[in-house]
Amino acid sequence: MNSVSPSAAQYVGGVMQDELVESRRQQPPERQGSFGLRLPQTPDPSRETTGEPDEMDKLKAKLMSAWNNVKYGWTVKSKTSFNKISPVTVLGHSYLLNSEDEVDRFCLAFVSRIWLTYRREFPQLEGSTWTTDCGWGCMLRSGQMLLAQGLLVHLMPRDWAWPDAQQLTDVDFEVFRPRSPARAGGVPIPSFGSPRGSNAPEKPLPNDQPPRCSQRKRPESAREAEPIHHRLVTWFGDQPSAPFGIHQLVEIGKSSGKKAGDWYGPSIVAHILRKAVAKATAVHNLVVYVAQDCTVYKEDVVRLCDLSLSQTPPDPSSQAWRSVIILVPVRLGGEALNPSYIECVKNILKLDCCIGIIGGKPKHSLYFVGFQDEQLLYLDPHYCQPVVDVSQVNFPLESFHCSSPKKMPFNRMDPSCTIGFYAKNKKEFESLCSAVTEALSSSKEKYPIFTFVEGQGQDYGLEGHSSNKSGPAAHILPPGNQFRSNNRRNSDEFVFLSILNRWEYTLLLLSDLNHADEQDVDLQQVFALCY
Amino acid sequence: MCSSADAPQPRLFNAAGSDRCSVTHTHTHNMPPFDKTQLQNKPFKLRKNFVTRKQEAAGIRSKFSNKIPVIIERYEREKFLPPLDKTKFLVPHELTMTQFVTIIRNRMALLPTQAFYLLIDNSGLASMSLTMAQVYKDHQDEDGFLYMTYASQEMFGH
Repeated sequence: MNSVSPSAAQYVGGVMQDELVESRRQQPPERQGSFGLRLPQTPDPSRETTGEPDEMDKLKAKLMSAWNNVKYGWTVKSKTSFNKISPVTVLGHSYLLNSEDEVDRFCLAFVSRIWLTYRREFPQLEGSTWTTDCGWGCMLRSGQMLLAQGLLVHLMPRDWAWPDAQQLTDVDFEVFRPRSPARAGGVPIPSFGSPRGSNAPEKPLPNDQPPRCSQRKRPESAREAEPIHHRLVTWFGDQPSAPFGIHQLVEIGKSSGKKAGDWYGPSIVAHILRKAVAKATAVHNLVVYVAQDCTVYKEDVVRLCDLSLSQTPPDPSSQAWRSVIILVPVRLGGEALNPSYIECVKNILKLDCCIGIIGGKPKHSLYFVGFQDEQLLYLDPHYCQPVVDVSQVNFPLESFHCSSPKKMPFNRMDPSCTIGFYAKNKKEFESLCSAVTEALSSSKEKYPIFTFVEGQGQDYGLEGHSSNKSGPAAHILPPGNQFRSNNRRNSDEFVFLSILNRWEYTLLLLSDLNHADEQDVDLQQVFALCY
Repeated sequence: MCSSADAPQPRLFNAAGSDRCSVTHTHTHNMPPFDKTQLQNKPFKLRKNFVTRKQEAAGIRSKFSNKIPVIIERYEREKFLPPLDKTKFLVPHELTMTQFVTIIRNRMALLPTQAFYLLIDNSGLASMSLTMAQVYKDHQDEDGFLYMTYASQEMFGH
């Protein structure tokens, strides 16, 4: 029973997931397991016989689920508007929503993204009593969505779209808005599909199938990739064996000092994903590189990807070049997002190689996939769904796709985030470097958000510096520079050094004391951190 | 229901780092005693007026013409990174941001994978390949110091 999942149809008419589960419980068993979930409005014979108490249960379930979702920040009833003047960008593709075709294409592009949300009633997380990640796991879920997108472009045919993608709900497309002001009043528009002809009566929905995007042109060949799609989702299942499931990610996070129930940040999650992909046996020819200090060292990426460079003999079944997901954790401001970075974030989301951004509003993680005008388009993990048993053959995919796009203004974006990119091969990596560099130069801020640098991190003195206990960053020096620490003052705080040379690479540390401000600072009185 | 965002992060200090956290020492040899703790809590710009700061920067610049005076302070809401024992740094022109960040990371004994960002004027990131002289030229304050704030990343959970 717990394999029942709410479909995207759950939002039609504002029906919440528990109600749907509830209604499915009353269905004869042979009706379950079919892909197309029934719409809740469909008359259910079993319900009619049970009468009143069932209505009570239904109400109770509805209230409970509404409470659950309000509690975790899910915006229950809000309609997202899309204008027809500015293009909507979704991960490198733009859609000008001034025609049905374009709306269909946008719908397919959005609904085909993999949506991973809070889940409850999953097997207990090891070393804890948690059986849900509601209220704490949203950043991990956003990270999963980013990785899932990377895996989609890695494994699926280019421009793959989910053949069973439902129509969008809770959306308002300007292009379909009736001209007549009388109509524009309080008429609810459940989806963009229905109000197309202003006089046309609402089409009755087919009994067992939720409405789907772009049903007209859906060749059968679109189904060929479905087994991979299914398998990909199983990797994110909420069970310990899934390589990118919450159990595995929490386990990996323990080495960074995190545990189940903790809050996670976009940078920690980037490293957790890197380790998870390195560990996974299910995924071949894919590595994750995480930039440090806002710098992508190209040589380090090449060394990860180019198997002929690595010391171990290359696996004959693998290609010479591994595909790479590049994750760049950044902080785009102090308290709030620095507005001069907005243009740059937009340009990044316009890139084909971009697989999205994990970040959010303050304390509230979201997976950003695009934008329209001054608003970011996102997938929200804050929706608590019952666990789906992904080990079942043909488990329902509906709860892993979202048909309800949401937007938020750029200026509410939390400055902490991780930007993701994907390159399939060497050529793509090279074009990624130049395309991203160009996008980054669009920042109104003097310096780009991050940079690509030739060479390896260790050339710049970054390798192993953290374990350096003998003193600060001595390896940064050009070879030959010697520096002697000649005495240690009675201060416990600092190593007191005096300057014995005229080397350029010297860092002096002034003491933060009043007397140092007032007196002439001479070398003997300066607390120096040098080498 | 959810654990605190203040949950301690491990290994912010290593053994060598722990004895540095001595801001409560009221005095040390050959230094006048004074209340340092209180001073540490206020941003440099609030501790001293503009004229004093300007004189100080000018004095240092004339004394060490090949060094740049930099003020580094912790982002006021930073929860994970430790306080730095000093806020004033005299930095060679040629030092790159990478090297500078490495030095600060070392002082805090951070792991390479731990998030650490230096924000110029508390808002923008500096490219790591820039030299301090370039950053100083573009971003020095009117008082003659270069101001930087360090911060990690926020945590998300609601």
